[in-house]
Amino acid sequence: MTKPMDEKRVGYFCAYTPLEVLNAAGVGHARLLKAGDSETVAAGELFTQSVFCDFSKSCIGGFAQGDPFYSAVDKLYNFHTCASMKRVTELIEGFVPVKLLNLPKLRDLESSRLFFRDEIFELKRDLFELIGHEISDSYIREQIVRYNILRKLIKNISELRKRDNPPISGKDFVEPARAFYYVPPEKLIDTHDKIYRALSAVSGAGSRPLRLMISGSIAADGDRRLLDILEGEMGARVVVEDHCAGLKPFYNTVKETGDPLLALADGYLDQAPCTRMKTLQDNVNFAGQLAQEYQVDGVLHVYLKFCSCYGITKKPFLNHFQSIDIPVLDLSSDYSGNDYGQIKTRIKAFIEVINARRSKKNGSNTICRRCTG
Amino acid sequence: MKYRLDEFIGGRPWKFTYDRPVIGLDLGSRASKGVLLTGKDIFVTLIATGLYMQETADELIEKLLVLANVQRSEIGFITSTGYGRIALSFNDIPFDVVTEISCHAMGAHALYPEARTIIDIGGQDSKAIKVDRTNGMVVEFAMNDKCAAGTGQFLEKAAVLLGITLDQMGTYALTSKSPAIISSQCVVFAESEVISLRAKGARVNDSEAVANIAAGIHYSAARRVSNLLGRIGTEPELIFTGGVSNNPGMRHALEELIGNSFIPTTFDMIYAGALGAAVYATQHAARGTAVSSASFDKQHTATTHINELIEQEQRAFIDKTDGRKKGRLFLRLYTAGSA
Ligand code: SF4
Repeated sequence: MTKPMDEKRVGYFCAYTPLEVLNAAGVGHARLLKAGDSETVAAGELFTQSVFCDFSKSCIGGFAQGDPFYSAVDKLYNFHTCASMKRVTELIEGFVPVKLLNLPKLRDLESSRLFFRDEIFELKRDLFELIGHEISDSYIREQIVRYNILRKLIKNISELRKRDNPPISGKDFVEPARAFYYVPPEKLIDTHDKIYRALSAVSGAGSRPLRLMISGSIAADGDRRLLDILEGEMGARVVVEDHCAGLKPFYNTVKETGDPLLALADGYLDQAPCTRMKTLQDNVNFAGQLAQEYQVDGVLHVYLKFCSCYGITKKPFLNHFQSIDIPVLDLSSDYSGNDYGQIKTRIKAFIEVINARRSKKNGSNTICRRCTG
Repeated sequence: MKYRLDEFIGGRPWKFTYDRPVIGLDLGSRASKGVLLTGKDIFVTLIATGLYMQETADELIEKLLVLANVQRSEIGFITSTGYGRIALSFNDIPFDVVTEISCHAMGAHALYPEARTIIDIGGQDSKAIKVDRTNGMVVEFAMNDKCAAGTGQFLEKAAVLLGITLDQMGTYALTSKSPAIISSQCVVFAESEVISLRAKGARVNDSEAVANIAAGIHYSAARRVSNLLGRIGTEPELIFTGGVSNNPGMRHALEELIGNSFIPTTFDMIYAGALGAAVYATQHAARGTAVSSASFDKQHTATTHINELIEQEQRAFIDKTDGRKKGRLFLRLYTAGSA
């Protein structure tokens, strides 16, 4: 259903943006999540330094190139997540009105929660200016309930992948997951419910494929290279994602009672953490737990080149996977596409390592732990 | 070239046999190598990699068949590795592909089973590999990033800058008493360092300066490679494979930096990848596995609808700007007309 012409459109980048407030405001909203091609990245690089990650360059590049989806935005809201995205958000001010909000990173502190609540209040107040009418608390609460239903549905769809022979590939799972950011919940709940039921009914027969988890930096829309190689070419299956464009944001739900803004502050701070949040150990532990929960044979820990967060925090992740005896491939990536062959070689070798390990079941400890590329 | 297996393995049992000859191909970025394995002989050959991988592969096979005096129809299996491993197809001989990482490990293991850590430096990349001594399988590996530092390409460029051949550079380096310090990890910057060092050195004693720079270059590349080793940990015995393994300057620089020496090899380890591929060929032939394009790309119908829904919503999001633009355009025309 097309929105009325005069409806405002809001864009955002990060999974720490409380969609409940946006939806309650009745604005059209979308996550600006495209992985740009080399031209978009180059367009973005005119504004940034070369050492920004390709995703942040794509974000500003999309605006600079006049991507119609990005240009449609009446206002961009973004939370200060990482330094690159903060700077990029500020630069986008040259294209569309921008509101930069703060995201406290110290999750353990009570004061962080109150502070984040204030920031969400500020988001609500600013939206009021944009749309010209109040957003009632009860309406926000209603949205919390709706989004929770969706989160649970997406998580349930994901959990079907715990079967020995998952009824849905990693590449297909991306679709219901990303729909969350474009399709309003009132439309999506029904669709997702159908998807879940259809997939549940798929027979579980068949052999167990090689099961993998992708962990690390954002896997933006269009950045499907790894999935193509892993599933399309190698016949392995990505059964779970520990990144913010996969299962991760749907792992937990938001409290449905009490002050809705505080519930959102808690809910978003308590979502499966990103490495930008403290403590890092929470994130590391979560990644390990997720890998075990989905019984993966190996993990690809991927970071976008020059990422100031995932690039620097990879060591504790690699060590942790190693300590729980899950082989891990350390991979850096960008949007240039010219390293396809190299990435493929590393992945294939990693799969050879896992297979060798699997065939040598009686478990000696000379077995692969970590591969870096 | 023909070798007898027992030249390398002596009386040790050889577990990698198949009842027919097999071929391993290693198509590198510069040179392509082929190994034909019978129960008792190893035939090796090397050619420059051509533009078309299939032609290069066919040429290698042709040469090997002549060398070994074997008919094409007798070949039991071909395993290919390296740069161009993907593009090949043979309709008369069962064929599959294994990565160069596994092949180098297996090639080194087959002849030198005591090896535990392998350094492989080729034209385009360098790798550190930890191998399982019991079966030649890879336990862990680290590979260089997409830049050329620490690869054959880097050395080649430097040789050109010094105006000597690659072979000369390696021997020159060994004569150096005080290697030049080349700090750059990046070819482009190292190049300019070499140029400025050269400009300085020329005034004193050219051949000594060249030797020092050549040694400096090898150390710079070796540092990069020993970093890779640092990521997987160095466990002796070490073995050096790949095209650069014949470069004495590099071997020396690596041994100095690692503080360990390489297992001396009588087999030319530029063929390690192709030999490993041939060993895999014997195993795969015995198991009867040919190339499997195991892929899962059938999309479940349940999720196709969702793509449409997303697209529809995205279009609606965009359409609104078009509407606004049309509106504005209309407004402007209207004012222009009334003026
Ligand atoms: S990949 Fe890293 S640098 Fe880029 S936006 Fe994400 S956290 Fe920031």
